[in-house]
Amino acid sequence: MSLALRQRVVDWLDDNYHFGDTEALLAGDDEKSFLRNGILDSLGFVKLMLFLEDTFTVRIDRKDVRPENFDSLGKIVRYISVLPGYREPA
Amino acid sequence: MSADLYRDVDEQRANTSAMRAFMGFCANRTQLKFDGYAQLQQWAIRDSAEFWKLFLEWSRLPVSGSPDPTVTSSDCEHAQFFPNVRLNYARCLLRSFDAEAENREAVVGVREDGNRAALTRAELRAAVERFAAGLRSLGVKPGDRVVAVVRNTPEAIVACLAVAAIGAMWSSVAPDIGDAAALGRFSQLDPVVLITHGEYIVHGVRKSLRERAELLAKELRTVTTLVALDERPDIASLSLETRVRVVLRKELEGYGALPMSEWDEFPFNQPLFVLFSSGTTGAPKCLMHGAGGSLIEHHKEHVLHSSFGSGEKLYFHTSAGWMMWNWQLSALACDTQIVVFDGSPTFPVQDALLRMLDREQVTIFGTSATYLHALQQLGLSPASVAPFEKLHTLQSTGSILYDAQYDWIASEFKHLEVHSISGGTDIVGCFVLGNPLLQTYRGESQCVSLGMDVRVMTGQGVQRHGEGELVCMNPFPSRPVGIYGDSNGDRFHKTYFAENPGMWTHGDQVRLLERGSARILGRSDGTLNVRGVRIGPAEIYSVVLSVPGVVQAMAVEQQAPREPGGSRLVLLLVLQEGVVLDRGLTLRIKKELNQKGSPNHVPAVIVQVPGLPATHSGKYSEKAVRDLLNGKPLTNRGAMRNPETLDAIGAHPELQPLA
Repeated sequence: MSLALRQRVVDWLDDNYHFGDTEALLAGDDEKSFLRNGILDSLGFVKLMLFLEDTFTVRIDRKDVRPENFDSLGKIVRYISVLPGYREPA
Repeated sequence: MSADLYRDVDEQRANTSAMRAFMGFCANRTQLKFDGYAQLQQWAIRDSAEFWKLFLEWSRLPVSGSPDPTVTSSDCEHAQFFPNVRLNYARCLLRSFDAEAENREAVVGVREDGNRAALTRAELRAAVERFAAGLRSLGVKPGDRVVAVVRNTPEAIVACLAVAAIGAMWSSVAPDIGDAAALGRFSQLDPVVLITHGEYIVHGVRKSLRERAELLAKELRTVTTLVALDERPDIASLSLETRVRVVLRKELEGYGALPMSEWDEFPFNQPLFVLFSSGTTGAPKCLMHGAGGSLIEHHKEHVLHSSFGSGEKLYFHTSAGWMMWNWQLSALACDTQIVVFDGSPTFPVQDALLRMLDREQVTIFGTSATYLHALQQLGLSPASVAPFEKLHTLQSTGSILYDAQYDWIASEFKHLEVHSISGGTDIVGCFVLGNPLLQTYRGESQCVSLGMDVRVMTGQGVQRHGEGELVCMNPFPSRPVGIYGDSNGDRFHKTYFAENPGMWTHGDQVRLLERGSARILGRSDGTLNVRGVRIGPAEIYSVVLSVPGVVQAMAVEQQAPREPGGSRLVLLLVLQEGVVLDRGLTLRIKKELNQKGSPNHVPAVIVQVPGLPATHSGKYSEKAVRDLLNGKPLTNRGAMRNPETLDAIGAHPELQPLA
């Protein structure tokens, strides 16, 4: 797993939703469901998708924005890190 | 045909519309000839009193007393409508139409987990009668304030209508509002009863409201009863001071019934709803809306402009903390069914709300441009989700519905009638909205609300057409009857009438077109609109300025086309010498705003700046910063005593215009 990518997503969750508490919410479980545990709100997926596109110079097929790819930190990291054009953050 | 035409008039719908029927009624009674809406509107403004009198008669709302005088003066600030009319708001909504309507579902509550609860008109009335009896047994009297922290559910509607039935005042917030924001509102009202749900659900996660209930019951010193709307044992077992008695809804409903036939009638201008409006300074204003004014304005908007009536089913996406909740409630008065949804529109699947609309066979879908934008961003095509066979109208409010969204609705949803409606908390209604007799142009509301002399204040004074500040020149019934606690009316005057004496100044920028349509352009004052939710900067400042190290703060809205809702909230801070805005401080400020305000109070961007622009009189200028961040020409730089602050803000890399 890309730790740098993981950290950027955690930072984003901190910046936008949990303000420093994201790691505590995850409690060491990167496969914890965002939806079932209230980690992202209704508009969260849209905002996260735009952030990921802007930050990692990737294009996310809108059909892929579904729980199978986005409902946990682990799923996001696995999905994004294999997209064409993905560059590992510095 | 004009290139910006979205939809032509549906002649069949126009001919059978209530608007056309009312036009015929007025023509008959006045012996005037109306060739279309424009002429009807001219008359309704010219002879405003006659218009409202005829509308009240035509509506057949169950009121008593004399309709004379219709309005006490032509002074928009002080005029009173129908001082000799009496009514009971709840009875107007719950009256019996026919046997079929009695047994038809009047209110349908759907939860995000799929749970469905419905009340027929007869059942709804009976539930209100029981709740009203309970409130009366608690000693609630006409004019008393009842405050509520409630989810968007049928039982919240029952509670509100029961409060109305006994002539008390209702004020509600949604559960996601912070403790400080809830207290800041309710503590001004000296309420006698607090009604609360015990929990709420966000994305399947249950969150208890026990601590909130405990805090409010403790801090609201006039509260004598806490009514728990659901069966949460942790609310029932709250240990409060002896001053506050905890009553479960079931207990409250055990006092028998107060039959609708025994509900008293109250003056037309008896305050009913208290809504909150927060500006750039001071505590949120407690706007009192009269029962009659709210009802007659809503009824006009529903029946004439929106073609609501028997057989229609309305779903408007709102919470109990937004004026659209009160607005949709009044649709019961024309026998339109109401669907309320409790939860997240995208849980457990992104198209959850859309599926619910289709399943419930909703005919009128009220939403926000923000939600539609989010669907668009997700690449989610509603047409691929369900056929929406019954749906014919989409109403959008809260933020601007842009031209391209009309085409998206037609191609990806359905070629629906689109009503871009706008008004707000201040008038618990709309200034601009739809109209079955008129064409729809992309990005525009079809018309100005009937009977309202809406104009624009431009550099050349007040104009009928053009771009500028939205003002209303004549009295209208849904003007608030006052601000609670503002006994001499000073605050009310300062808020709406000081800038342009004699006319209501709304705080919106608008473009009025010669063809009668209107385009809302955004706020003209410092108020923020975040994802369709109006936020008063004063509430942000009160939180931020209590954080050690923060000296000055300014919150502004910046256009951001890629953000849901098309804009983002930016917070500028001046910090004490030696203090730096690092990540820790940024997160702390955001957390405080989330907890004490709401998620909507949290800025997307926080930056440290050396100073904030202020006028020579010392007033900070949100307008100057907003113009700067949105790439607009600075018109008031010369009025600043420290224009160099604008240079620093303009040069900040995180504050460059995005649109």
